[in-house]
Amino acid sequence: MMDPTVARIERLLRNPLVLVTAAAALTAPVVLLAWLLWPWYGGFVQGLLADAFWFPLLFMLFVLVMILNATALCILAERKIAGFTQDRRGPNRVGFWGLLQPLADGLKFLFKEDIIPANVDRALFLLAPCLALVPALIGFAIIPWAGEVRWPWMPADAPAVSTQAASLDVGFLYLLAVGSLGVYGVVLAGYASNNKYSFYGGIRATAQMISYELPMGLALLCLLMTAGSLRPEEIVAQQADSGLWYVFLHPLAFLLLLTSSFAETNRAPFDLAEAEQELVGGFHTEYSSMKFAMFFLAEYAHMITGSALMVALFFGGWHFWGLPGAADTSWVAMLLRLAVFVGKVVLFIGLFMMIRWTIPRFRFDQLMRIAWLGMLPAGVVLLAGTAVLTAFGLERNVWACLALNVAVLAGMLVYVGRSRRPVTGRQPDLPAVSVGAV
Amino acid sequence: MENLLIALLVLGALGLFLALPGGRAHLARFAPVPLAGAGGVLAAVVLRAALSEPQRAWFAGLALVALAAAVRVVTHRRPVYSALYFVLLILAVTGLLVLLEAKFLAAALVIVYAGAILVTYVFVIMLAQQATAASYDVRAREPFWGCLAGFLLLAIVGMQLLSGGAATAAGPAAVGTVAEVGTRLLTHYAVAVQVGGLLLLAAMVGAIAIARRKPAADGDGGESAA
Repeated sequence: MMDPTVARIERLLRNPLVLVTAAAALTAPVVLLAWLLWPWYGGFVQGLLADAFWFPLLFMLFVLVMILNATALCILAERKIAGFTQDRRGPNRVGFWGLLQPLADGLKFLFKEDIIPANVDRALFLLAPCLALVPALIGFAIIPWAGEVRWPWMPADAPAVSTQAASLDVGFLYLLAVGSLGVYGVVLAGYASNNKYSFYGGIRATAQMISYELPMGLALLCLLMTAGSLRPEEIVAQQADSGLWYVFLHPLAFLLLLTSSFAETNRAPFDLAEAEQELVGGFHTEYSSMKFAMFFLAEYAHMITGSALMVALFFGGWHFWGLPGAADTSWVAMLLRLAVFVGKVVLFIGLFMMIRWTIPRFRFDQLMRIAWLGMLPAGVVLLAGTAVLTAFGLERNVWACLALNVAVLAGMLVYVGRSRRPVTGRQPDLPAVSVGAV
Repeated sequence: MENLLIALLVLGALGLFLALPGGRAHLARFAPVPLAGAGGVLAAVVLRAALSEPQRAWFAGLALVALAAAVRVVTHRRPVYSALYFVLLILAVTGLLVLLEAKFLAAALVIVYAGAILVTYVFVIMLAQQATAASYDVRAREPFWGCLAGFLLLAIVGMQLLSGGAATAAGPAAVGTVAEVGTRLLTHYAVAVQVGGLLLLAAMVGAIAIARRKPAADGDGGESAA
């Protein structure tokens, strides 16, 4: 029997009208107050927004808050997509369509008991979640979210302000550097837990990250040769100018980058570091409450940053055919570009989630074989081919690039077809199982 | 200035010698005294420079972090912590490189050292760790000669820097860009790059040759032919 009061509250929360009214009632006074006080602080805000130093910083803060909120929504989306994939409804109890589920999840994390087991390495145990979260959250500083903007109140001769926090000469190398630091969180969590299962999780994560950084680097080098620049804003501008996204030139390089991103985010099918069936919870077995939530947050933030990187480098960033380009610096165009960028990122996140719930986890030797025997040779051949194309000045020629990709793909297929080893792969010291007539 | 440098180096050498792990537990207690003295003097010097020129404050902070981390790398008794202090050291040095506008070098340092080499170190350390600390972890092999050699080298370098006047390394900002570094590597240093590549290739072939030697327990070790 349910308590009648609880039942009434639940019924209320499930009504979308109630939710909308509550949100309006909460925000209306704030908006009203802000509007009333505008003459006193409006000039200050306008000055901040027009400043070439403060605007990127404020925009970055905005993006950071958005990412933290998006993480909560991602968890709901993930559970909904899991439900969709497994032919069930997913969370639908808390709020209308389960929309308050992230809030409930967050509260659950906060109120859980925060346990530090007796025999852990205390300093490293506390440090590990921070080391996992921080690299995941500083990576997006170089993402060019929406080009440049010129506010209507800015003087005509003032330069437009950029929506990119840091325009670095080393460009996406910065993202690689930061991403490569992310592994320490996982490794140290596994080590500090003083637990065999956690330890195995940490070891697996290390081997996996080291292996998958190589094909990722090769794919990015292909792109670097094509674009001739490391700056993401320049790469986006090139794609916007020609209207030809680099994914059309280098689909294989993009696939390599996508696969490596899966491995770097530690998500299925690459989640051997936390394989529940074998390792209980892997590297985060001993973690509870907010410390566990930080690992969770890091995974989703990694996913968002990785998606944003792929969108910027291979999918034209904020560019979409028929929409205003970089020359239009009005704030409407800026918002449109931001919407395009975010829309593409959301599509990528959906892809990440669908794949997570579709493809089963790899076995460890399969994982290593894909990286070292599949992706690495393919990446090297692709890189050599791109170098040859670049030497002949054909690196932006879509037909030459596609021919190269088709040739590499055909070569891989022929090699796999002719090799005597079964594709699924087994330990080399086990007798081979033949698949069909080989 | 020279006297200050010598005093600093002597203090540092003494402190490091005392702090190095070894059988001198009754002396190791006093290690923080000379180390803190050296660190304090150094901090005073760089902070005084930072006061006159605020840009130097970053240099002061990063340099002190790097030095403290470096001391901990060699004195900590647990190899995992040593490796982590090495990561901290790398990050601090990266900051110094960024201050010098050598951003490509900074990114490369983090990717190669912190991202690849030290992860491998941590990996190996974790795999090789014993239940009880190994003897090579609890005592330094040659603390005295090691300290002497290291600080003599520091003294020579420091004296050269002082006698040669303030070497102004502040070149044009374009020096550290990726394009500039790449052009230099492929034109001015082309031979060195080729030799380095050859060396790495040889090392890789050697590593594979060692790794391929299978234990004879399986009976036939000839599985390797693909």
